[in-house]
Amino acid sequence: MPAKAAATAEVTPEATTVPAAVPSRSYIWDKLHSLSGIVPIGAFLAEHFWSNSYALVSIDRYNQASYDLQTIPWRVPVEALLIWLPILYHGFYGVYIWSKGESNLSRYGYGANWMYALQRWTGLIAFVFIGWHVYVERFMTQGRSTYFDVATTMANPLYLSFYVIGILAVSFHFGNGLWQFANKWGLVVGRDAQRKAAWITGAIGVLFAVVGLLIIFGFVFQWRPFQFYAQ
Amino acid sequence: MAEGKTIVVKIKRQASPTEPARWEEFSVRWRPNMNVIACLIDIAENPVTRYGKPTTPVSYEANCLEEVCGACAVVINGRSRQACSALVDHLDQPIRIEPMSSFPIVRDLVVDRSKMFEDAKRLRCWVPIDGTYDIGPGPRIAPERQQVAYALSRCIFCGNCLEVCPKVNEHSDFVGAALINQVRLFNMHPTGAMHAHERLQAVRGIGGIQECDNAQNCVKACPKGIPLTESNNDVNRQALLDAIFGWMFR
Repeated sequence: MPAKAAATAEVTPEATTVPAAVPSRSYIWDKLHSLSGIVPIGAFLAEHFWSNSYALVSIDRYNQASYDLQTIPWRVPVEALLIWLPILYHGFYGVYIWSKGESNLSRYGYGANWMYALQRWTGLIAFVFIGWHVYVERFMTQGRSTYFDVATTMANPLYLSFYVIGILAVSFHFGNGLWQFANKWGLVVGRDAQRKAAWITGAIGVLFAVVGLLIIFGFVFQWRPFQFYAQ
Repeated sequence: MAEGKTIVVKIKRQASPTEPARWEEFSVRWRPNMNVIACLIDIAENPVTRYGKPTTPVSYEANCLEEVCGACAVVINGRSRQACSALVDHLDQPIRIEPMSSFPIVRDLVVDRSKMFEDAKRLRCWVPIDGTYDIGPGPRIAPERQQVAYALSRCIFCGNCLEVCPKVNEHSDFVGAALINQVRLFNMHPTGAMHAHERLQAVRGIGGIQECDNAQNCVKACPKGIPLTESNNDVNRQALLDAIFGWMFR
């Protein structure tokens, strides 16, 4: 075979010297990408779902929670450093990572390969959704969003369906991202450990999706299961 | 089975890296327990297409015919695998055979897999036993450790794990699961561990372990059943601890 012949001919003392390791910055940027998805973005996501759950108590409590967050000290620097910059980095670097992969689901339709493909698509959907969401609820309201603003947006069926898709995409991306993190940081090694991590992170993803959809339900149907607290 | 039964084989052919690829169909006489290599041998004996047109014999690589040498990896019916263990009776017809697309083509089904050898050199995938004098026997290894290492050592560098990986393509330099498994194997070895830091440094380099996005096709495609995703996560842990704490203790 031509390839084999060529390989044999190359085995000379010069060819067998050890090539130097090629340094790369991409290791640290990739690790930062996976970390930023958990902290601060994932942590903020949890906080965001928590605060918005006040919609399930009462309009007054929701507006109070919004006002408390809108009046924290150092608001804009905190938003910029803990929310905007990490999301912009995670989003744009994520698109760069996407560009280095070529999905081959049609040939190899295994479970984890599906998750890989879905992670890319949900990431893109989430990035677009978050961009729109921040524009509408943060900047169009001059940073003074209230229950009324969110309820008005959700009154439009088009925006409402975008919210549903966005919350499902974000929840999947976060749940599967936690599993990716466990793998990429070597927190789980064995196949059983990987499987257990998949169950745990999957449950977290489902929990986020359920809570997110219940909040939407609260806005659309004025459903307030915790209203008795406020009375 | 009926005598004179034939099977149809479609092969993607390319005379040289610069010439265009084309498909050719062959008709091969069926025999019991045939594998794909047997079809290629028959075609080499009588290189005439299904439509009676004489052609050149199909170039392919094969050696052991029992899935231990790794030479005959090709894409059969869209799936990357060893041709020797691909039994004709288990395949849908016509049987489509293509070269692996993750490696530069040489001719027909022959690809140049030297990328893996170059990466193995870069990642120091060996145990240093040679010196200017006899350095004596290495330390003993516990049987439990031997068992784990044995499973990892069965890699045959066939390239299936690279072929099925969404992150091995022209946009990415990813070394692939086989090479990361080698890093784990040689870091496990008491003598090989003397170079553990060098390997971990190299595996964080260009096309290193950070490129893996856990599509995990590699472990499904591995003909040797190597726990490639375990190796990957283990090397991830080693590389990360070395990156975070390594500089403190040197």
